[in-house]
Amino acid sequence: MVDIDISWIPDTFGSITPVLPMVLVIIGALLMPGIHLLLKSRNVTCAVSLAFVLVAAVFNILLLLGHYTGTYYDLFTYDAFSGLMILLFQAVAFIAILIAGPSSETTRMHVGAFYSLMLIATAGMSFVATASDLLLIFVGVEMVSIPSYAMVAMKKKDPRASEAAVKYIIIGGLSSGLTIYGISMLFGLTGTTNIADIAAALATQGYTAGLVIALATMIAGYGFKIAAAPFHMWAPDVYEGAATPVSLFLATGSKKMGLIVYVKIFFVMFVTIQAAQPFMTESIQYVFAILAAITMTVGNILAIVQGNVKRMLAYSSIAQAGYMLMALAILSDWALTGAIYYMFAHVFMKGGAFVVVAALITVGVGETLKDYRGLAKRAPLLSAIMLLCVFSLAGIPPLAGFTAKFFLFSSAIVPGLGDPVSSQWIWLAFVAILNSAISLYYYAKIVKAMYVEKGESEEKIKVPVAFTVAAVLCVLGVIALGVFPEPFLYYCSQAAAAVMP
Amino acid sequence: MIPIEFFLMFSAILFVIGIYGIMAKNNAIVVLMCIELVLNAANINLVAFAAYNGDIMGQVFVVFTVAVAACEVAVGIAILLNAYKMKKTTVIDDLTELRW
Repeated sequence: MVDIDISWIPDTFGSITPVLPMVLVIIGALLMPGIHLLLKSRNVTCAVSLAFVLVAAVFNILLLLGHYTGTYYDLFTYDAFSGLMILLFQAVAFIAILIAGPSSETTRMHVGAFYSLMLIATAGMSFVATASDLLLIFVGVEMVSIPSYAMVAMKKKDPRASEAAVKYIIIGGLSSGLTIYGISMLFGLTGTTNIADIAAALATQGYTAGLVIALATMIAGYGFKIAAAPFHMWAPDVYEGAATPVSLFLATGSKKMGLIVYVKIFFVMFVTIQAAQPFMTESIQYVFAILAAITMTVGNILAIVQGNVKRMLAYSSIAQAGYMLMALAILSDWALTGAIYYMFAHVFMKGGAFVVVAALITVGVGETLKDYRGLAKRAPLLSAIMLLCVFSLAGIPPLAGFTAKFFLFSSAIVPGLGDPVSSQWIWLAFVAILNSAISLYYYAKIVKAMYVEKGESEEKIKVPVAFTVAAVLCVLGVIALGVFPEPFLYYCSQAAAAVMP
Repeated sequence: MIPIEFFLMFSAILFVIGIYGIMAKNNAIVVLMCIELVLNAANINLVAFAAYNGDIMGQVFVVFTVAVAACEVAVGIAILLNAYKMKKTTVIDDLTELRW
């Protein structure tokens, strides 16, 4: 839609242009411990890491608006899809770093190391978004996972955080073991690690025992990263135990990375071989459909009984991942467009909810539903933001959650724009809509506690300004994506078109 | 030359032992060791396939996997030490503060 001239960027940076957003973030990550050591100020360190993310985001937006495509050594491919996904990860990192500064839960001792880990994880997610090779996907996922384990453990003196970190690293290690085993089988079957070449090689092969093992271990291994049921049991523990900025980072960023891995590997692979191997493609579509249906149902039903808001949000993000997995079952570009739109909507609505939770923990309100009673009188702005975010998560118009759900669920009924109605996935759309209705119940419990019930204290709450800024940014995103979907939908469909072979 | 099935059987046995250990063992340090077994099973696969396919990519992959495994153990042991300091245990079943 917008056309700007960006030829000066490749002219200046030469062949590293496709990896420029990541290079800037990695330079920031390497400098961060030194900056904290020299300047000895938490706020300056936080501001410098924010600046690095912002500069990287500006370059990324320029590349995205200029419709730049390029490759770097056959491993990295920058196109509309990876650009948009890098933008998502930069937005997540921006919000998380912004609230990590004033949050009372993050470490006071190793501030430089903490921001360094967060920037490395951001760069790793961007690597996954640009990857066109299984090697880079594997390394990128580990670049996100290993800093995440450390960030979860870096909460100040809290036994829950250390317990969460132990659970996280064991499940994370299991998942990387499973994926690398699957990758090794796939490499043996096809003789390559490039995803497009693997798809081309598989088009001539049928099901073999090796392929079944490879697909099963890889779906399970990356399923742990997405926290898709039945691989979800670590997620609530980790999101509850970790410092809230880290929970935000994991729930909105790390989960999207897992989904992008699914899109990069399975979506691309099976769209390519759909014509040559209809049976194989259809069976995998059903695997993903069942995975999606189980994930959303388990997430929503277990969220109902939670009394801790952080844990409730954790289960709700499991359910949200289930909605986004629908795109892999439907395997059409319209479904992928909807899923990409949903990913952005999810960043803003879940991010906003976690920002409010983090703000309330920092001022000492607590994190259970009981603590939220009567909050509307004590913190009207934060309560209003929380209300908008949870209603958006439930899918109430005109907020982002509704628009995203509309695009995604409609693709289950009409696979592509202008296609006739297909009956194959109507049951999936039905399950998803039913689940949205269930989810409204527990989201409404938060709203009821804030607006209807009476609290013990009437005293006004004053939160640090960074929380307010982050929360307002998120809520603006929620409203913008909900009311004006058109411009952004254009970029989502461009991204989906870039993925389709 | 040794048939490739032998390598695959060997790595499959290692993989299954590793997965069994992760599921059944109660001590977090033993579980970390079992994760290493799973990663090494994949390494054997990759090296064997690289030799039989005549593609060096498999061996490159193994170098990365070894590095990743080393990082994971380094962070893992640090996290276990931290948990041991707080709770005086590395037994997973005793970590029961977070549930449901």
